[in-house]
Amino acid sequence: MIKHPLFMAYGLLTILLSGYTQYRGWGNISTNELRNVPKTIRDNPGSYRSHYGYIPRYAGGK
Amino acid sequence: MSTPVKAKALNCPNCGGTVQLRGLGQALSAVCIQCLSIIDTSSAELRIIQQFKVKERVAPLIPLGTRGKLHGADYEAIGFQTRQIMVEGTAYEWREYVLFNPYKGFRYLSEYDGHWNDIKPLTGLPERVSHQGKPAATWLGKTYRHFQNADAETTYVMGEFPWKVMVGERAITDDYVAPPDMLSSEKTGSEVNWSHGVYMAGEQVRAAFSLPNPLPPSRGVFANQPSPHAGKPGSAWRTAVLLWAALAMVMFGSSLLMGQKEVFKQMFTFTQGSRGEPSLVTGAFDLDGRETNVELSVRTDLDNRWAYFNFALINEKTGQAYDFGREVSYYRGRDSDGDWTEGSSGDTVLIPSVPAGRYYLRVEPEMDPSRPGQSMRYSLTLRRDVPWNLPFFVAFILIAIPAILITLRSAGFESRRWAESDYAPSSSGDDEDDDE
Repeated sequence: MIKHPLFMAYGLLTILLSGYTQYRGWGNISTNELRNVPKTIRDNPGSYRSHYGYIPRYAGGK
Repeated sequence: MSTPVKAKALNCPNCGGTVQLRGLGQALSAVCIQCLSIIDTSSAELRIIQQFKVKERVAPLIPLGTRGKLHGADYEAIGFQTRQIMVEGTAYEWREYVLFNPYKGFRYLSEYDGHWNDIKPLTGLPERVSHQGKPAATWLGKTYRHFQNADAETTYVMGEFPWKVMVGERAITDDYVAPPDMLSSEKTGSEVNWSHGVYMAGEQVRAAFSLPNPLPPSRGVFANQPSPHAGKPGSAWRTAVLLWAALAMVMFGSSLLMGQKEVFKQMFTFTQGSRGEPSLVTGAFDLDGRETNVELSVRTDLDNRWAYFNFALINEKTGQAYDFGREVSYYRGRDSDGDWTEGSSGDTVLIPSVPAGRYYLRVEPEMDPSRPGQSMRYSLTLRRDVPWNLPFFVAFILIAIPAILITLRSAGFESRRWAESDYAPSSSGDDEDDDE
């Protein structure tokens, strides 16, 4: 007999969600999705400018 | 409804008032409620044992003469007394009822703050032992933990008693608990009496005696009050372990089923500030199967430098691009604390939910523009359908939360129980509980 049916249901739902994220191939970054990128990039990579480009960088170091 | 019964009576030798007798000659003392005299009824002389005074007369919640059914037998309430203990200058008072059945004898009900106990004197002698380094008592194979030692004083009496009761009578009491059971010893002089009590809710008492009005609700947690959470922490953690086992199976099972197929790998060289376009595109590669993730690993030879990569994973046919940036930096050195490192010369990311198709990668590296001419070698590796365990670790924690909450609730109940005992963590908490 299940002593904690709500807990069990909650746990199984959590497991199912975890399995679903695996099946759907979730990742650890968010990307900026662009549509209809021109095919000229193949021949001229400089014709595309990244959404993330030209942001001041951290120089690093202790 | 309470059941009125006919009773024998005697006249008080002090005031001549009528004193009803319900104990069928088995009681040893009776109280004249008119003049508050306690009469020795064990002999025909009807000697007065004591006359007492009280500021206020107490009305029992179970009127004397009321009959009720306990353990399948009819019992009549024939006596009532209030007793108190003093703890740090505060009086704690409880009430006791003497119940009588001509065939079963005497038993008692006690009530404190709405908590009731059905009490039967013991004919045997429990054994005092030590349990987990603390005093305890065993009776019929069950261990009772010591709860409280007190000096109890009788403060008010009415009705009949199977002993020669006196107001002001004192007894050293020791309570031992194993909820819902309780063992109590009462030492008066050299005599020690043991009794066994079982916790009763007020509603049970009301039903047993068919009392017309609800009894006062209970307050706080009583010494032997059964915990509504008893056994739940253990079963909750067993449930958690079952769920964790299922989670591990899903995690490892899904990892085995995922393709983790390498679809691209290539080495590149980048020189900061060189003439020409810094960005490049890779050769095309196929991402097969269902919509799932793509893992991109960047490995560099950076040492005390940084690089930034603008990436765009572009579908050759549809023109859909997944644009993102990653910084890779690795620094190391030595200072007064010793060797130190910061960052990593590599990076790995999972691009989520990429549909199947033929893709290429646009890469635009960037290094410190104040140091033109510096170069780095880097490799890019792409793998399709790679397991990501973070959701499972999150699920692991989420599964633990209900078990933790159930354990905390149970511990909180036990904490409130023991706060009233001789083993309270600190006496400062007692005052707070008393205010409840």
